[in-house]
Amino acid sequence: MYSSLKKKNPALYYLSQVLLYGALILGALIMLTPFAWMLSASFKAQKDVFNFPIQWIPPEWHPENYQRIWVQIPLIKYFLNTAKLTVIITIIQLITSSFAAYAFAKLEFKGRDQLFLLYVMTIAIPWQVYMVPQYIMMGKLHLTDSHLGLILMHTFTAFGVFLIRQFYVGIPNELIEAARIDGLSEYGIWARIMLPLSKPSIATLCITSFVNEWNDFMGPLIYLSTDSKKTLQLGLRLFNGQYSSEYQLIMAASVVSLIPVFIMFISLQKYFVEGIATSGMKG
Amino acid sequence: MSEAKKGSYRRKKTLIAYSFIAPNFIGFFILTFLPIIFSFVLSVCEWDAGNTSQITFVGLDNFMRMAKDSTFKISFKNTIYYTVGVVPATLILSLLLAMLMNCQIKGRTFFRSVVFFPYVASLVAVGVVWNALFHPDNGPVNQLLMAIGIQNPPRWAADIKWAMPTLILLSIWKNVGYYTVVYLAALQGVPSELYEAAKMDGANGLQRFRYITWPMVTPSTFFVAIMLTIYTFKVFDLMYITTQGGPGRATNVLVYHLYNQAFISLKFGYASAIAMVLFVIILVITLFQFQFEKKFTSYL
Amino acid sequence: MKKRRMWAGLMAGAMAVGSLAGCGGGGASTTAAPTTAASQTETTAAAAGGDTTTAAASGEQVTIKVSLWDYSNTDYYKTIFSAFEAKYPNIKVEAVEASSAEYDDLIQVKMASKEDFDVVFTKGTPALSALVAKGHVLELDDYIAQSGIDEAVYSGLTQQMQLNGKTYAVPFRKDNNLLFYNKDLFDAAGVAYPEDGMTMDEFREMAKTLTSGEGSSKVYGAHIHTWASNVNQYARRTEEYDPWGNDKSVLLPYYETILAMQNEDKSVMDYGSLKSSSTHYSGVFYNQQAAMMQMGTWFINMMLENADFNWGVCSLPNMTGEGNTKAVGGVTPVSIGAYAKHPEEAWKFIEYVCGEEGALVLADCGIVPGYTSDKVNEIFDALADKKPGIPENLSKYIDIDTYVIEQPMHPQGREADKIITEEHDLIMTNSISAADGLQEMTERVNEVLGQ
Repeated sequence: MYSSLKKKNPALYYLSQVLLYGALILGALIMLTPFAWMLSASFKAQKDVFNFPIQWIPPEWHPENYQRIWVQIPLIKYFLNTAKLTVIITIIQLITSSFAAYAFAKLEFKGRDQLFLLYVMTIAIPWQVYMVPQYIMMGKLHLTDSHLGLILMHTFTAFGVFLIRQFYVGIPNELIEAARIDGLSEYGIWARIMLPLSKPSIATLCITSFVNEWNDFMGPLIYLSTDSKKTLQLGLRLFNGQYSSEYQLIMAASVVSLIPVFIMFISLQKYFVEGIATSGMKG
Repeated sequence: MSEAKKGSYRRKKTLIAYSFIAPNFIGFFILTFLPIIFSFVLSVCEWDAGNTSQITFVGLDNFMRMAKDSTFKISFKNTIYYTVGVVPATLILSLLLAMLMNCQIKGRTFFRSVVFFPYVASLVAVGVVWNALFHPDNGPVNQLLMAIGIQNPPRWAADIKWAMPTLILLSIWKNVGYYTVVYLAALQGVPSELYEAAKMDGANGLQRFRYITWPMVTPSTFFVAIMLTIYTFKVFDLMYITTQGGPGRATNVLVYHLYNQAFISLKFGYASAIAMVLFVIILVITLFQFQFEKKFTSYL
Repeated sequence: MKKRRMWAGLMAGAMAVGSLAGCGGGGASTTAAPTTAASQTETTAAAAGGDTTTAAASGEQVTIKVSLWDYSNTDYYKTIFSAFEAKYPNIKVEAVEASSAEYDDLIQVKMASKEDFDVVFTKGTPALSALVAKGHVLELDDYIAQSGIDEAVYSGLTQQMQLNGKTYAVPFRKDNNLLFYNKDLFDAAGVAYPEDGMTMDEFREMAKTLTSGEGSSKVYGAHIHTWASNVNQYARRTEEYDPWGNDKSVLLPYYETILAMQNEDKSVMDYGSLKSSSTHYSGVFYNQQAAMMQMGTWFINMMLENADFNWGVCSLPNMTGEGNTKAVGGVTPVSIGAYAKHPEEAWKFIEYVCGEEGALVLADCGIVPGYTSDKVNEIFDALADKKPGIPENLSKYIDIDTYVIEQPMHPQGREADKIITEEHDLIMTNSISAADGLQEMTERVNEVLGQ
């Protein structure tokens, strides 16, 4: 619609362009400033972190901050643990959620809506309140201080089912009926029709779950006590406690911890936008 | 088809449906639902997390206690304050950002990623940066404010009046990207012919927004409003990591109070009762929003 | 909250120890120090626990689970534990480490699910009281009696760790609060060093005189850290103040002095500013930005490693000018878990780490052990020989007959402590007047303690 404006009133067009990009760049600056500070501080000497006025470019470069963090805390081990947990949880959650979501969206059976309501309602209950009963139960099942316990706890969530179901509801029933007539079993329909069609919602759940798991702090804090099983966020927290005055190291560790989620987002963002669109519209 | 055959067909269908739900449901039921039921029961009991045999029934005592608990009242008010501060602002900002990005612009992917960055960053990392940026004496934010002539800039997290606004700002900054993307997706679903037609009729920008954009994104607005409300009522990590509810009790919110009641005061029954109140509030608000949505969308 | 910060500091100290001579793992000379008391009890302890079989006696290998924090970066633990394993070849120690800042909350969850920890370290009396109230740790009186431990070596601390007349823990470490001062800064300002028995007014005046400079090169007369203890310990030491008592107004003159130093004299850094940047007290003192600072004795160990100036210690100032007659501080209690599989072996472990063997390893690192003896004192006085600048009279300040525990045992102690921290926060950020804040503190503490 701008193209017509360009011809009719070039002055107004360019003014609107300047305003538009001005607003966008201002927004981007606000979003990025904290990360810029983080990055800049991570290369500084301890004494320069809070210099007045702010120096965005470190007066002396200390890239060895990035080396020191790996030495001081077994971050590599924590990194691998986090990656393992995040990947496993994300994958199993995707499969079981989309499986259940299909039944809630497209199959008819007794108590379907009540059961679904039950799922959705639990989203409103803060974890902190049932954390202890849950931990006691996990202890009885010998699942505490194990990655398996954390995986089981975080895999079977109501949120995943809710999110994908919202998407599935939007897929036309005719498509499924036609497949049934062609003799496809329900499992076949799920695998051959629903799953391929729901790429966007799967990407959405994927990034949400990935972000949550990667950044989860309280879960591993309570469940993992053996050092070799701990995760990145615990390491970061340990770091903040032990080096509370060494901001440059804390920032270096933070930068490192952010990279995987950024990569994950950038590679999925195309699908992601479509995914939220659908669940949003139907939600 | 005979009745018996019909019955067995229905049974088979039900069985298949259950088989779809089972993998998720069994895990969910045992690991999440049972503990939730347990905490529902605890809300009318007293328990200090010692032996489970020491759980005693106290009726509605836990709920009565709230009336006398000054921290409960403060944290309740703070939760409302936080919700009111975060929900509308995030909603409006994310819609504005989405509309900007929906224009034909270069580098849309770049802007979209930049807006989304804060959402993917962990609070542990971001909390530290935020404290540094808003440091009352050396922070860049106050340095900037002083440079433009504000003599006594706010002391942010160190001031009881400004601590909550500081956290609200942090929340908006962190979450606006997620909802911007939600809105962006909704906007992309609006057919451009609608705008063209409106223009022909001589509608100005404001009118186009009022009569086309806004109604078209209404379903997304409800989704955003509900998710945001649930999020703001359940907020905990933010305070736990940045302010520990301080200064004083200025940023103490319901879930933070609940956590302290459970782990510091060892009143698990009382903590569960607070959770029940929280649950009911969220439920009422959500149902209200759903009702409103039905009315609003049917009117369209 | 205060505790958390305090221990974060403590751990930073423990880290520093790593590179100190004699504190590294394994070969430290002190670990071999024999003690007769502990080895005699080896045989008597076996009878205490009833039906549990004593695996060590039958020659079978037993592993005890020890719950603690920051094990991996604290070398003296490893030194002491491996010396213990060498002495009792049948007992292996498995350290289960948890994040330091959240340890107090975490141990409550773990014990609620009946974790079979044999030995449980706690961060102080409030956390211990909470475990005792719920029956998560065992009563130790029988063990203590059978081992024939003379409780005098613990400066009366075992009595102070009783709840309802029963003992539940033995102190591994104790830390009393002292006034640390930077002799170089005093010399430069031409001010006489602080002495025992200083009054608060003298302290304030001294800090004012020592304050000089502007901006980032400003030297402050004193550093008041953000913990409530950095105001109330002055009064706690003289026992005017009882944290669980029903009147906090005794703290008023102390708050008034500190607030005047912050708001009028500007001789200490601003509380809100410190809190926002979570500034660590150690940096302030190492970088010679403050001439005096109230800190626990764990700071001795940190100073040994990090200070490159002359420093000294004296007892805390107060309103009445009380001298070095009493000490105030906290402890690191060690207990046997209620769901322990090997309580016998756990007791042997506690006896060892809290006995002279453990104490000597700690002392050599400049950490004050719960156990007091002439040998421990000698080690502390000899620390001055390690490096120039270290005071020679340290034992005078760590071995004090009357030891006032900063937070007496109370099942609701942690809750009351949180209230004290919150009100302290309000007073120090000038959000409320000191008088009103203390009034509110009194009312709220009374309410949770049911007074």
